[in-house]
Amino acid sequence: MTGGGYLLLRRGGSLWGIANSAVTDLARQGDGAYRIATAGDDPATLVADEVLGVVRELRVWPNVSVLRCFWPEPLAGLAVHDAMPVIVVDPGRPPQALQGRGGA
Amino acid sequence: MWREAKSAAQGETPKGGRQTGNHLLVRSGELVCALPLGAVRRVVRALPVHPLPGAGPALRGLAEFAGEPLPVLDLSRLVGAPPGAQSSYPVTVVVWAGPVDARETVGLAADAALAVAEVSPGALVGGDGALVRGEAAIGGQVVRVLDLEALGRDR
Repeated sequence: MTGGGYLLLRRGGSLWGIANSAVTDLARQGDGAYRIATAGDDPATLVADEVLGVVRELRVWPNVSVLRCFWPEPLAGLAVHDAMPVIVVDPGRPPQALQGRGGA
Repeated sequence: MWREAKSAAQGETPKGGRQTGNHLLVRSGELVCALPLGAVRRVVRALPVHPLPGAGPALRGLAEFAGEPLPVLDLSRLVGAPPGAQSSYPVTVVVWAGPVDARETVGLAADAALAVAEVSPGALVGGDGALVRGEAAIGGQVVRVLDLEALGRDR
């Protein structure tokens, strides 16, 4: 599942984006959730409630210090898609909410 | 009152708003806060906010504003005030936060924008040396005067 763009996911009421090039596998589980496997030095399996699809381009803004103060999750940045804020995931350091221990 | 405050806050204002004595008075819960007018970018009806899993209570979530992602904070919780009976926060005050040379746009969820008022630096008492510069009596009520340049510093 390689290619450009970003895979858009919904989890915990928020919209998340992950570089499509970092995704190696995507599967739906029996409970309806999706499992997303990522590549890299430290492969991870992420969990999503819904997969919205792939967007070719996403303008990514760097995370802001105000947000870091109140939500110290590692992020690749922030974006907007269809007037919805998107949290752009760092595939090497996925946030807890996508690791199945938070959100939903 | 609302219209006065809204029109006063609508313009893109120059940097260095902390120096001015003009502040936008904003009600949040049982408290009235004064925001430096130069740091106020816009007052809008409550923006739809998307929660961030695991975030603390002061962070309501992310919104979209002018095509960009916007963190939205709960003004009451930010200043340690009781949230009051109404917690729907019908207004989002979009402000510049942080140091002047590295300011960021942030939304503050509040109950209402009330008016623009002059706050004399000599009238301030107390303060926490951070976000709350102090309290001042304005129009017969105690107002908590905020320093938005302190917002985003390490807490």
